[in-house]
Amino acid sequence: MDQAISNQDMKEVDAKKIKELLNRRKGKMKRFLSYCAHCSLCAESCFLYMKYKKDPRYMPSYKVIHSLGTLYRKRGKVDRKCLNEIKGIVWRNCVLCGRCYCPIGIHVPSMIAFARAVLRSQDIHPQHNEASSESWL
Amino acid sequence: MIVAERKPLDEIKEMIKTFKKVLNVGCGGCTSICFTGGQREVGQLNEDLENALKQEGKMLRPDGFTIERQCNGDFYPELDEIANDYDAILSMACGAGVQFLADRYPSKPVFPALNTTFVGIDRDIGWFEENCRTCRECVLGETAGICPITRCAKSLFNGPCGGTSRDGKCEVSKDTPCAWFEIFKRLKEQNRLENILKIKPAREWRNQTRGTMVHEDYQERYAK
Repeated sequence: MDQAISNQDMKEVDAKKIKELLNRRKGKMKRFLSYCAHCSLCAESCFLYMKYKKDPRYMPSYKVIHSLGTLYRKRGKVDRKCLNEIKGIVWRNCVLCGRCYCPIGIHVPSMIAFARAVLRSQDIHPQHNEASSESWL
Repeated sequence: MIVAERKPLDEIKEMIKTFKKVLNVGCGGCTSICFTGGQREVGQLNEDLENALKQEGKMLRPDGFTIERQCNGDFYPELDEIANDYDAILSMACGAGVQFLADRYPSKPVFPALNTTFVGIDRDIGWFEENCRTCRECVLGETAGICPITRCAKSLFNGPCGGTSRDGKCEVSKDTPCAWFEIFKRLKEQNRLENILKIKPAREWRNQTRGTMVHEDYQERYAK
């Protein structure tokens, strides 16, 4: 584990900043989250879902519900462990290729990108050793 | 992937020093992967700039903000909210990202903090090699997957030239393999040596003009 990761893990979470960010795009993002009908039609448009033998954790809907959805559900009051779990979902499990398809018109990439922006505000982002070892784009 | 390198600090400093509020925008795409323009590098550059400007008696520390791709409008909404608060924007994306950013905020001076170097591959961690010049006339099928435009010092289309050494090195440097020697070896291994005898006509160098590509499936959508 390099120095940057340990710094990342030690830094205190600024819940106020997270909440402020979440509130800024609350209307659109919460609408997207509530529109999801759990139809799973987005699943097969994700190449990672197909690559990992249809592991449900790679379904685009799963990824937004367990990242941005979690942040809204907890109203930004999350600890670093939770943020690190979300980090895995939005960076390792999604490469933001933008190919996911939702029949209702939910724009999944913008939601993942927004979750990444929230994490970036807490200085959480892939480190060099992660970026080159897996698909942490 | 697009590979870039940071410009010399003095050059970046000169570009921004007359402004009061500067935003340094990182890119979470290619320049993050090649360790030159991601969130971490944004922080590092801001610190370097602050220290360098302090020595000249100027108090300026750019703020940092990283978006996932600077070459795609879908990832700009968060930046749109804050961009107007700044006098100038520094971009740590490739040349394409810088131009997209400049088009997005036409009233703001936008400056590149990186030099875009090439389209390349990851040979190992932190080791990148140029393998494609995006010439738009790919001949890799005939050259056994080795690009003569990129890997031959003269970009010869019909090689090798007379400068290949006996051990297959280029006359430019004895550490540089001759691309055409490598092509010959691989074609021989694949039993396709007849390919090397084909005379290829002069190229059109179409990559000297600006390129636009609309995917076949989307041509109807964007038809004028």
